[in-house]
Amino acid sequence: MKTRIYIVALLFTATIITAAFAPAALILKIKGSDTVLPLSQKLAETYMKINTEAKITVMGGGSGVGIAAFLDGTTDIAMSSRKIKMSEKMKLQDAGKAYKETIIAYDALSVIVNPNNKVKQLTREQLEGIFTGKITNWKDVGGEDEKIVAYSRESSSGTYEFFKESVLANKNYGSAILMMPATGAIVQSVSQTKGAIGYIGFAYLEKTVHAMKVSYDKGATYIEPTIANAKNGTYPVVRPLYYYVLNKDAAKVKPFLDYILSADGQKVVGEVGYITVK
Amino acid sequence: MKKSTFRKAILIAVVAMISPVFMVAQEVEQTPFDTLATSVSKVQSDLNLLKKIKVTGYIQAQYQIADSAGISSVAGGSFPANVDNRFSVRRGRVKFTYDNTLTSSVIQIDVTEKGVAIKDAYIKITEPWSKSLSLTAGVFDRPFGYEISYSSSMRESPERARMTQTLFPGERDLGAKITFQPPKTSKWNFFKAEAGLFNGSTGLTSDFDSKKDFIGNIGINRTTKSEKINYGFRASYYNGGWRQSTSKVYTMAADSLGLNAFLLDYDTANYGAITKREYIGFDGQVNVDWAAGLTSFRAEYIQGLQPSISSTSVSPVALITNDAFNRNFQGMYFYFLQNIASTKFQFVFKYDIYDPNTDVKGDEIGKGVKNYDDLKFSKTNKNDIKYTTTGLGLVYRYDTNIKVTAYYDMVKNETSKNLKGYSQDLSDNVFTLRLQYKF
Repeated sequence: MKTRIYIVALLFTATIITAAFAPAALILKIKGSDTVLPLSQKLAETYMKINTEAKITVMGGGSGVGIAAFLDGTTDIAMSSRKIKMSEKMKLQDAGKAYKETIIAYDALSVIVNPNNKVKQLTREQLEGIFTGKITNWKDVGGEDEKIVAYSRESSSGTYEFFKESVLANKNYGSAILMMPATGAIVQSVSQTKGAIGYIGFAYLEKTVHAMKVSYDKGATYIEPTIANAKNGTYPVVRPLYYYVLNKDAAKVKPFLDYILSADGQKVVGEVGYITVK
Repeated sequence: MKKSTFRKAILIAVVAMISPVFMVAQEVEQTPFDTLATSVSKVQSDLNLLKKIKVTGYIQAQYQIADSAGISSVAGGSFPANVDNRFSVRRGRVKFTYDNTLTSSVIQIDVTEKGVAIKDAYIKITEPWSKSLSLTAGVFDRPFGYEISYSSSMRESPERARMTQTLFPGERDLGAKITFQPPKTSKWNFFKAEAGLFNGSTGLTSDFDSKKDFIGNIGINRTTKSEKINYGFRASYYNGGWRQSTSKVYTMAADSLGLNAFLLDYDTANYGAITKREYIGFDGQVNVDWAAGLTSFRAEYIQGLQPSISSTSVSPVALITNDAFNRNFQGMYFYFLQNIASTKFQFVFKYDIYDPNTDVKGDEIGKGVKNYDDLKFSKTNKNDIKYTTTGLGLVYRYDTNIKVTAYYDMVKNETSKNLKGYSQDLSDNVFTLRLQYKF
């Protein structure tokens, strides 16, 4: 009996010691940009296939939501389709949180319309007119006599801010623009409404919507949003996608970040519809 | 009524009562998924309500060592006689906010060893159309300059500058203000203007003179496209006064020997008149994110006319029964803040000047006056002395909640051989070690 007790005690102690010294399984929370969401989900999925002990959860909500969660300490990685703002940097400093920024991919922001819309291309100025509310009918941009229904992301979205800065030349969105809580909702709405127009990350493109050619040289050339055009620099609406990680979590996140920036990770980036960093 | 008829009536009544129950039961029959959805919806609804209520605050516990016992200080208040070091709870704030997006209300209290005091109690309403105009009413920070409304929980130096503490004791006042600032989604969001009327008595006491003071400011705050540099500038204006309770008013003028001193204006018309209080201020801030870490520069300058009494130039918080002494003043502060690379440490340098009476300096202060036959003068005193303070500090931010500040205030006073006790610099430097917990 005594021997059995000794064996059990020994096994118990060994189990505790093994558990204590065994490398901890990677458990990560990623939150933020809806644009980065499909990419992060796919990267997490492929990473977890290789590293079966890892557990990575990915949530959207918008870049602003991700960075707010980062500030609150409720996510390990904030994914963002815009650069962290100065006001956010100062809040992080006040919280004693030093961070590191990594560009994991690039995205070609795409303007989408309903496939039944005859207008297949627009200049930046025309897009500015539509989204600031000055152009309200498709006939004013060469289309049918049809009311324009413009969809945008909410103000917490990095895509919202990038579109405002790059396409609207920092002008305000019109009051009639419909603000949607997620990119998927824009795709669905545009696919169901003939006069609709919206903007989404390239990876969200579906056959149910049509990606427009855009011109940034007042109509001299119209460029289609494709990975090739984004890579060769001819498509003008391209932006970096960021991961923000606290320095204190750098070691924990490193294996996953290394994977993303590796050839395998970047292959996934290309497959999902984003532009690789290398 | 016959028995059978009575039974029928009872039966009909019972059926009538029961039927809706079954009908309802049939209507609300739910699948487990529906039940879960209903529960989630209810939880979400409750959560949305709870999200509107915020309880935040911070506690600052500190230990201070002064150069000598019983010194007069603005580093958290003067030291009592025989005390040259002390523990204290500098601030113990609890703030309750109910935020209903376009309307909100705030109550903030301060709990320290000195007791419990109300700091803020105000309502804010934003118009729903452009969301650019808002009305704030109650007791809240005076909309003047930068340092007043910069939270003590975030400020890198333990206390506000001497100038701010003298002109705006308690920072707050009772009143109402209109704020114009386009919403964050607007490209004009960088612009902000505020204007309001206040009692001029600080938020600590009720109005004592019926006179309402105007405070306003106009400024911008912008960040470069690269999100690497942020800068802001503002101009502020204060126009008010307080009711005189005597017939004597003193203003600065030259005596018969040409020495600037307080000239007495004795006139019964002075009694009940309003003595003017007027400030103009400018402030600027620049924050730069670069390889060495976040660097910040802040500066503020205020000049104007400060009505007070002989024994102090601090703005009155209650009805003054003494003679009025009007002083032209000026003051400024400058901060240099450097986060040490990406560590949790931040270096702090602060320099501030407050000259309560710009019409006298050095040995002129406290010097005996020579009257004209018909003009009477009163000599200046220790409350007309200029102070400069150099502060050096190190801030360590352990996490979101805990911050440790070590800070040394080197105070230098203007000297005058005509003023007893002020012929040389006083021993009134103060070292502060502060532990802050923010929640």
